[in-house]
Amino acid sequence: MLKSKNTLGIIFFPAFDWAISPTHPERQERLLYTQDQLREEGLFDIEGISEYKPDVASVEDVERVHFCFPDVPSVATRSHLISAGGAMKAGDLVMEGKTDRAFAMVRPPGHHAMKVVHGSRGFCTINIEAIMIEHIREQYGHKRIAIVDTDCHHGDGTQDIYWHDPDTLFISLHQDGRTLYPGTGFPRDLGGPNAMGRTLNIPLPPNTSDEGFLMAVERIVLPILADFKPDLVINSAGQDNHFSDPITNMNFSAGGYAAMNDMLKPDIAVLEGGYSIQGALPYVNLGICLAMAGVDYSHVREPNYNAERIRQDARTTEYITELCKQLPALYFDPPEFVSRDDSRQGIISGDKFVRHKQIYYDTDGINEVQQESVTLCKQCRGLYKVETRADSGPLCLGVEIPVDACPECRAKGYQTVEDAQIKGTYRYIQLINRLDKEYVRYGF
Amino acid sequence: MLLGIDVGGTHTDAVAIDIGDAPAVAASCKVPTRHHDLLSSVTEALTTILGQVDKSAVTQLNLSTTLSTNAIVQNKTEDVGVIVSAGPGIDPHNFMPCKDFHVIDGSIDHRGNEVRALSTRQLAEAVDACRGNGVRVFAAVSKFSTRNPRHENLIRRTVCNCKSVDVCEHADFVTLGHQLGGALNFPRRVATAYFNCAVWRLYNEFATAVEEALDEMGLGHVKVNILKADGGTMPLPQSRTLPVQSIFSGPAASVMGIIALTDIFHDSVILDIGGTTTDIAVFADGAPLIEREGIDIGSHPTLVSALKVHSIGIGGDSAISVVGPEVRVGPNRLGPSVCLGGERVTLTDALNYVGACKVGDVAASRKAVDAYAAARTLTGEKLAQGAVAYAAQAIQDATRALVEEINSKPVYTIHELLEGKKIVPKKVYLMGGPAEAMREELFQRFQLSTEVPANFDVANAIGAALTRTTWELELFADTQRHVLFIPTLSYRENVPSGYDLDDAKRDAVNQLTMQLDSMGVFLKAEDAQITHASSFNMVEGYDRVGRNIRVKCQVRPGVIKTFGEGR
Repeated sequence: MLKSKNTLGIIFFPAFDWAISPTHPERQERLLYTQDQLREEGLFDIEGISEYKPDVASVEDVERVHFCFPDVPSVATRSHLISAGGAMKAGDLVMEGKTDRAFAMVRPPGHHAMKVVHGSRGFCTINIEAIMIEHIREQYGHKRIAIVDTDCHHGDGTQDIYWHDPDTLFISLHQDGRTLYPGTGFPRDLGGPNAMGRTLNIPLPPNTSDEGFLMAVERIVLPILADFKPDLVINSAGQDNHFSDPITNMNFSAGGYAAMNDMLKPDIAVLEGGYSIQGALPYVNLGICLAMAGVDYSHVREPNYNAERIRQDARTTEYITELCKQLPALYFDPPEFVSRDDSRQGIISGDKFVRHKQIYYDTDGINEVQQESVTLCKQCRGLYKVETRADSGPLCLGVEIPVDACPECRAKGYQTVEDAQIKGTYRYIQLINRLDKEYVRYGF
Repeated sequence: MLLGIDVGGTHTDAVAIDIGDAPAVAASCKVPTRHHDLLSSVTEALTTILGQVDKSAVTQLNLSTTLSTNAIVQNKTEDVGVIVSAGPGIDPHNFMPCKDFHVIDGSIDHRGNEVRALSTRQLAEAVDACRGNGVRVFAAVSKFSTRNPRHENLIRRTVCNCKSVDVCEHADFVTLGHQLGGALNFPRRVATAYFNCAVWRLYNEFATAVEEALDEMGLGHVKVNILKADGGTMPLPQSRTLPVQSIFSGPAASVMGIIALTDIFHDSVILDIGGTTTDIAVFADGAPLIEREGIDIGSHPTLVSALKVHSIGIGGDSAISVVGPEVRVGPNRLGPSVCLGGERVTLTDALNYVGACKVGDVAASRKAVDAYAAARTLTGEKLAQGAVAYAAQAIQDATRALVEEINSKPVYTIHELLEGKKIVPKKVYLMGGPAEAMREELFQRFQLSTEVPANFDVANAIGAALTRTTWELELFADTQRHVLFIPTLSYRENVPSGYDLDDAKRDAVNQLTMQLDSMGVFLKAEDAQITHASSFNMVEGYDRVGRNIRVKCQVRPGVIKTFGEGR
């Protein structure tokens, strides 16, 4: 019988009774064939690989990460809470030492969900990785965590959530934003002034195949991971770089995905996108499971795989080679933050960093405007404050006292909330106090 | 009059049951099991029983036998040619069950599309190699054959090299993977097909011998059924092509016995405390739980479905040992108890010592326990009590672990997760030799109502006698490809685009009824149970192109009559 080198916990929650709409790519059928393939391969009979059921994330688990307006139940369905709970379960398995690694093969996905949530963006509502990570930090102590987002779309939600966090390294490999939703994720995006270089974007040109992906991982991601020395490596495992994916333009293969996972050696992987539900997901997911478990994956291949047909051209290789030369410096030697006259990039005003954002929730058709500010504090990462309004809806406020808050920023956080209640015109106010594990809502 | 025979490890138990308004045991006996000649044990038990009842009133004999299990455990199996087509995925050589194992290029995908045809050249070479080794039985298995058996059928035709469907010159028997069940699991299908072939000849010789013996005893008219591990029976003629299903039916007989002897409504724990082991089974709302996938044979997981029974090495004959300050029991059996002429003190001796029972020579137990204790600077009292307490605790711990494992099983929909049933045992049922003696001690641990039914000593044979015939099938329909397929029956039919879940459920029940009817079993409509039904829209681009429908239908394992108060 086969025995795995690493014990692997798989949380498989295909949400067979949930869909965005009957013919939407994110629908009941999405993990059906993956399930068939994993069962037919006898994956769960391999000694060391076991299946676990997901937990259900509570409202507080979500509020530890997000400012949800008007409230969590209005934006997130039970399926979202189970999907996040599936990721949390993966975190618990690894943190409690029950398994060496864990893969949350759950849906719906989450990496486009930002700090503030008014609705769904890019099929995502709540950020299941971030909910897992903050659950881990609250339960098992503060950790340095690296997230490598290998979804074909830029992980803009995860980037937004960790923009100001120096203890979270976020690296996103994705199809160049000039050619694909959400149109973001460029090398100049490096994180807020307190966390410059902790965000790194690797935009790859369309038609990048195994060669380009593996080169970028080897030359950019691995050296940075080695330097950052995270306590945990998390893979936001989107599988839509596949050559057969209907909504993207990349040429990655199942074997390539498995090899990439083998190189990254993530402690936890969380499924994100991937909409070639018949031609890719069954094989990619199988390859990743085997790679995580340390079982031979060399026989995993798509039925219609033809390396020659999907090989990247010489120009693409040349372009990526150049990226590999330039990008590491952005992490190892990030430029100083320069306050220019552009409030969308962020400006420094007194002791505060201030940024204006406009966010479009494509799945739900909502427009949001935000003003975000972070105190530039020498003692801690600063008090976070966000004023937000969705379309012409009411103005709402979110305040976060960071986990390492100094007494001054903590006091300022409470003061801000109190002032907002008395003098402000906010319909809803939410306080996230990571220092004291206090999560409060006003106006609900 | 129904007969039940359970060929066990030590004894072959037999009962005759009168089924009037209330079933009653008309005769029962225990004879020693002779493992080298099981037939003689069966005929001896039958002769004993038939001496006490009216032969002509007997209509049915249900038989549970360890024959196939023993053949495998003792390596008395036949060489099998296993020919598989796997396609991409995990390297099939990891699942090689025997030396004549051949992987042929070709692949079928999860929808049942043939992605690559089977290599006829490789296949011919493989068959020649097997024939060269004198192989006469073959297993043909392909990945996703439960969606499309094309490759398995082609392997079979090549192996037989014959035109007719029934007669075959080159092979005595071929197992087709898809006929073993509709569940997806290629490695298990390989192992199950292999074992089915490996015991086929031996099993068929036994089946023939049983039929002849019955004829000689004037019981030629009796319908014979064989017990399966899932708590059902299959008619003897059908069992000839599915001998693997008779493996590990022993614990099933015990569980069905408890069902027959009591009325179980709640979540419950069943403990069959035997000589060597205690078998633990769990009931949810009065129904026994089955293994989700199938049992392991040797180290091979298979598709043989079975009641979920966990065995631990603690029974009446389990030896007592002292390790440091702790008194332990089992997991080894080192001969019979002292009270029955053995040499090593056992749990039964300890139970004798503390006065919980009076088995055999109680004085011998006391003397041996005292001597064993003295050599380890303990008092006999302390040793005996320690042993009984240890056994009860170990049984409770194992039960708890089993319930916890069942409660953590994965679920696939929001509904299941939120409404998810959690098993909380409300009652404990005990059977087997030391059941009565262990009752008080176990009650102290579980703090739950603890019942030992009457006739608990031959409960397994009663269970065998009353177990009804079961069958299950899985229906798979793909309306884009316009096909319906029932793997276990090799039944294929074209369906229209409008075919839906209700049609599929109706067809599944009809096919199940017809199948049982052809085996001479009458099925009431309410006995057919749909255990799984799902329908997924298949979308290409943004259009629905068809439905992917899966239905599983079964006759729920059960007994035809119970002795319980609710009868």
